[in-house]
Amino acid sequence: MKPAAFEYHAPTTLAEAVGLLARLEDEGCDAKILAGGQSLMPMLAMRVARPDALVDLGRVPGLAGIRLHDGHIAIGAMASKRAAELSELVRDKQPLFHAATRLVGHQQIRNRGSVGGSFAHADPASEYPAVALVLDMEMVATGPDGERVIPAAEFFVTYMTTALEPGEILTELRMPVLPARAGWAIREVSRRSGDLALAGVALTLRLDAGRCTDVRIAAFGVGATAIRLTAAEDALNGAAPSADRFARAGAIAAASLAEPMSCIHATADYRRHLVRTLLERSLADAAARAG
Amino acid sequence: MAIDIPTRTDQLPTSATRFIGKAVNRIEDPALVSGTVEFIDNLSLPGMLHCAILRSPHPHARITGIDVSAALALPGVEAVLTGEDVERWCDPCFTAPEGWGNYCLAVGKVRFVGEPVVAVAATSRYIAEDALELVQVEYDLLDPVCNPDEAMAPGAPLVFENRATNVIQSRTYTWGEVDRVFAEADRIVSRQFRWNRVGANPTETFGCICQWDLADNSLTCRGAYQTPRFMGIGRAASLRLPANKVKIISHAQGGGFGGKGGPRGTDIAALLSRKTDGRPVKYIEDRMEYLLAGGGQSWDRYYDAAIALKADGTVTGFKVRLVDDQGAGAEGYGTISAAKPLAAFTGNYRIEAAFYDLTLVATNRAPTYPYRGYGPPPHNLVLESLMDVAARELALDPAELRRRNYIGPEQFPYTVPSGNEYDSGNYAGVLDRVLELADYKSLRQSQAKARTEGRLVGIGVVSTVEPGVFDWNAYATVGVPGVGVPEGVKVGIDVFGGVTVAVGFNLQGQGQFTVAAQVVADYLGVEMNTVKVTTASTDVALPHFGQGGSRLGVAVTGAILGACEKLRGIFCRVVAHVMQTDPEQIELLNGRLQMKGAPAHGMSIAEVAGLMLSRSDLLPPGVEPCPEASFVWVSPNRNLPDDQGRCRSYLTAAAATHVVQVEIDRDTGQVAILGYYIVDDCGTRLNPASVEGQLQGGVAQGVGAALYEEYVYDAQCQPLVSTFVDYLVPSIHEVPMTVKDHLVTPSPIAPLGAKGCGEGAIHTTPAALLCAINDALAPLGLECRETPASPRRLWQLLHDKA
Amino acid sequence: MSNRKTIRLTVNGRHYEREVEARLTLADFIRHELHLGGTHVGCEHGICGACTILIDGSSARACLTLAVQADGANITTVEGLRNRETGQLHPIQQAFVDAHGLQCGFCTPGFIMTTLELLGENPDPTDEEIKEALGGNLCRCTGYQSILDSVRLAASRINTATAA
Ligand SMILES: Cc1cc2nc3c(=O)[nH]c(=O)nc-3n(C[C@H](O)[C@H](O)[C@H](O)COP(=O)(O)OP(=O)(O)OC[C@H]3O[C@@H](n4cnc5c(N)ncnc54)[C@H](O)[C@@H]3O)c2cc1C
Ligand code: FES
Ligand code: FES
Repeated sequence: MKPAAFEYHAPTTLAEAVGLLARLEDEGCDAKILAGGQSLMPMLAMRVARPDALVDLGRVPGLAGIRLHDGHIAIGAMASKRAAELSELVRDKQPLFHAATRLVGHQQIRNRGSVGGSFAHADPASEYPAVALVLDMEMVATGPDGERVIPAAEFFVTYMTTALEPGEILTELRMPVLPARAGWAIREVSRRSGDLALAGVALTLRLDAGRCTDVRIAAFGVGATAIRLTAAEDALNGAAPSADRFARAGAIAAASLAEPMSCIHATADYRRHLVRTLLERSLADAAARAG
Repeated sequence: MAIDIPTRTDQLPTSATRFIGKAVNRIEDPALVSGTVEFIDNLSLPGMLHCAILRSPHPHARITGIDVSAALALPGVEAVLTGEDVERWCDPCFTAPEGWGNYCLAVGKVRFVGEPVVAVAATSRYIAEDALELVQVEYDLLDPVCNPDEAMAPGAPLVFENRATNVIQSRTYTWGEVDRVFAEADRIVSRQFRWNRVGANPTETFGCICQWDLADNSLTCRGAYQTPRFMGIGRAASLRLPANKVKIISHAQGGGFGGKGGPRGTDIAALLSRKTDGRPVKYIEDRMEYLLAGGGQSWDRYYDAAIALKADGTVTGFKVRLVDDQGAGAEGYGTISAAKPLAAFTGNYRIEAAFYDLTLVATNRAPTYPYRGYGPPPHNLVLESLMDVAARELALDPAELRRRNYIGPEQFPYTVPSGNEYDSGNYAGVLDRVLELADYKSLRQSQAKARTEGRLVGIGVVSTVEPGVFDWNAYATVGVPGVGVPEGVKVGIDVFGGVTVAVGFNLQGQGQFTVAAQVVADYLGVEMNTVKVTTASTDVALPHFGQGGSRLGVAVTGAILGACEKLRGIFCRVVAHVMQTDPEQIELLNGRLQMKGAPAHGMSIAEVAGLMLSRSDLLPPGVEPCPEASFVWVSPNRNLPDDQGRCRSYLTAAAATHVVQVEIDRDTGQVAILGYYIVDDCGTRLNPASVEGQLQGGVAQGVGAALYEEYVYDAQCQPLVSTFVDYLVPSIHEVPMTVKDHLVTPSPIAPLGAKGCGEGAIHTTPAALLCAINDALAPLGLECRETPASPRRLWQLLHDKA
Repeated sequence: MSNRKTIRLTVNGRHYEREVEARLTLADFIRHELHLGGTHVGCEHGICGACTILIDGSSARACLTLAVQADGANITTVEGLRNRETGQLHPIQQAFVDAHGLQCGFCTPGFIMTTLELLGENPDPTDEEIKEALGGNLCRCTGYQSILDSVRLAASRINTATAA
């Protein structure tokens, strides 16, 4: 289990990194970006990824900030998950994102793994893409033509595939601050604690005069990418929160899943049922949190 | 002169033991926590090459062509090994039963995914793996047989074409009047069970460095070897070398629990060394290789079993039909796993008759190997599950049903129908203690309350016997010859009084070096920290086996006591000679050889040793200037089996009862362990902390087998589990912190009364968890009869019902 | 650019400068180039935690890091814990010995390094916090109970020592 040979580049500015990627692409060289390596390294070791070159973003300054900007939280793509976990800003202003971060792997993984790496990697079982859909996050990509902003709904294309063009670097993630008195929840089932989820649900909602509003729900671990559960959202918006209603929403969500994934640990039916259960339970969590 | 091995600690020449029976710190630990122990991959030899192995992607295929030219041309590559070389230089490994072995590298055809096909030696492992990508192998695919049903179907493809069948062995054993007890039974409870493949997965995989001496035509192998001498004999046979030309140097191992890919890995590295004019070749099995094809996959079983009962709950008979998927041959001695249950077939119970119908089948799955427990854990799960079903049908508490059937403390030594003799025990005492520890009544009350809330809470109360101190005779029925497994040590004292114990094995985790130091220090009355325990390589070591079969702690204790007894005899003669008296007048006590009745007259051990080594003029005639003694211990009083496999096999019978409470989440199928209580009895506890460690480690592996771990194969016999992402070794979150207590019923026949306990809780935990799960499911009329009871499986069961 | 690179880094207080192949993992570099064999390798794909070291004070899997990524880093491995002069074990190491927190010891360096980070950040952790921190380290031998005890013991000793 040793990686195949590759060229290694460690650009020290963003411009250099962008230029390098463009040049390598022109030369027909299959280059991959290296962030924390927590997903890429096992793939290299198993030789399921065999890039000709790696472009390490680890020495590019300015990509790891976490700040409040124009009313939203901006997290540099190279910020570590541990930094996001320890950020008071994230914890206080966007507790859903914070809770999702704490569910990722173990501390050793969060120390090294970047936030952006998870978005770029787009593992369907990752917590982040679902949270991105729920929060309507925006991804900032930087390429030869400069910056562009990609909404979450367009960013995750399919299994481990994003809207990033070859040569584009994900540089920043933007998310709104959680509105006052909004409720949120994230739950997942994994085989062992810290494993990637077999299924999970993330959501936010508000309670307005005893009715659910602004319900946004996404599931992860069940499809080729995270899935918005709009039918369940519709069933909840405007309804009074109740155990019955939450159960119904769970059932609607489960029914709305076209063809959940199947693997040795979970069949499609089981995953469907997990979404139903997790949604029901998460709605109760979120309603309890909503002020 | 026969040497009597003390079976009680009060027979030791000390007024009070200072180390035995105490949770002393382990002498192996300071180096281990410092990271300075020489695990094999830490060692490099000058000129060393690195081996990588190309493995078969197919479960069953004929090899029609191999082109290694591009690999050989890669700079850094020194040699490539193929089946052609192997066929020229090797024989298939020997197996029990005979004739079901493979070559170390596929010759002609591959029999399972992961079987070695080509191996490369290069200047680095990175380059060796690069070279593998340049090797071209052409295969002609053959239909695989993926499970025993397919393998036994008429006209099935043959895994070994020179055999007319895929059935390795099929036979029955009848012990007592089985037909009668079943005919006369008031109730018969029968069920089928499926135990899916699990495996050892020590944290360190196998590794070795082999060097072929071309002048001497001899081989030296350094590596993570669990049973060095046995390994050496096996390598000599497969590599066509005289056994005394194969030297095995065993390094510390990062766990064992049965198998690592030692035999094939060693042969391959050895042949690459031979091909490179004797350069040392290192092979480190990586985790994916281990998971695909390393030793340690175990117990792929289909059970159909029944017990016969009287109306009062007395169990009178036990029938088991086992079809065991051995995978591609018997190279890993997985066959033994199916024979070992004979040592404790009927568990803790007075069951008068039993029947075993055993079929061992070859398929195109990876070959099976030993795994901690070596067979009984699934067998116990079957028996204990049937006990629980019976208890439910009879509306008896499962603890009560067990109590009614226990062998009584006054009945020992007790011969079980399958022939083995249990040395001692107090099963009801163990049960009483654990029920008290767990506060069983309130567990049942909390369960009743939970049930009224619709929660699925269940309790398992499971008793098992752990056969300890294996003997070859236990495996005679699958073709292992012989009686008596030797374990030899040498105890020597240097001129300054330092004590060295030379053993034939190396560290693996169970703490036998510490046990050795405890025993020798208490016997000779020295401090533990003056004792050095060291590993002899096989060319100089005494006959030995090493770790395995819950045996070594007891065996090494016996060997050391034997050597110490011999030393005492020599020392008494020397001191008597110096004091001009009879040896009978001299005694050893607390480290001094002294005159009986006049203890002021005497010499310390160090003085005697110093005298022996420096004043030959003072030695009595016939005594050599050698304050050393060796002793090879073997289980006393073992015998050959009869035609039904009956013999005194395992020397000791430890026992345990576990009480566990679980809750199943109806909607996710997840099992939460709410409480876990253990009382065990393994006789004298030589180092209580080590015993507890073995127990708890066994719990972890039992939890893995019962709830998490599984080698999954698809319908084409492709393994779907090749990484630790999918092979789910439990973490600290999944393993319960158990509440433990123990009883001490010493063995009357084993050294110091200690019983084998190294395999520990893996005998009990899977059964306890499954019984608890089924207790939780009982109100729904459901039963889970397949392991692991994974969330997906339990959910499916619950869902199909709903 | 080539596939080799010169890196400079500090390991256990010593400075090293080495030319390495870009694909060399940090685990292989530490073990086979620097001959610090205490950082063990159990899976090479990030699951077992045996290879845990500290990079700039934070725990990391050496098998999931390239040596070239560690250029300029300050690394601590298990060999860096013992007192060099006296050979005395670090309190965490001693606690693992005293509480029988190991059997084969192959996983132990990884657990010790993770514990070092934990107790640095949180000197008095609850059992739940200990479990959370150690969740990424697998042990096949001990069943974790004695490891939990070891970490508790280490914490209490370190706290008593600092209080005194
Ligand atoms: C034991 C273990 C448990 C884990 N558990 C979880 C879990 O529970 N949930 C979860 O979500 N993840 C989990 N992961 C994955 C982990 O979170 C990774 O850190 C993450 O997926 C990738 O981040 P990274 O910085 O390490 O990226 P890398 O591994 O370096 O890169 C991953 C991919 O993203 C690309 N990439 C990275 N950064 C950029 C960028 N800025 N622009 C463009 N492309 C980029 C790379 O080219 C590569 O293809 C786990 C990993 C391990 C080893
Ligand atoms: S070897 Fe690095 S995590 Fe297993
Ligand atoms: S002590 Fe052996 S793996 Fe932990």
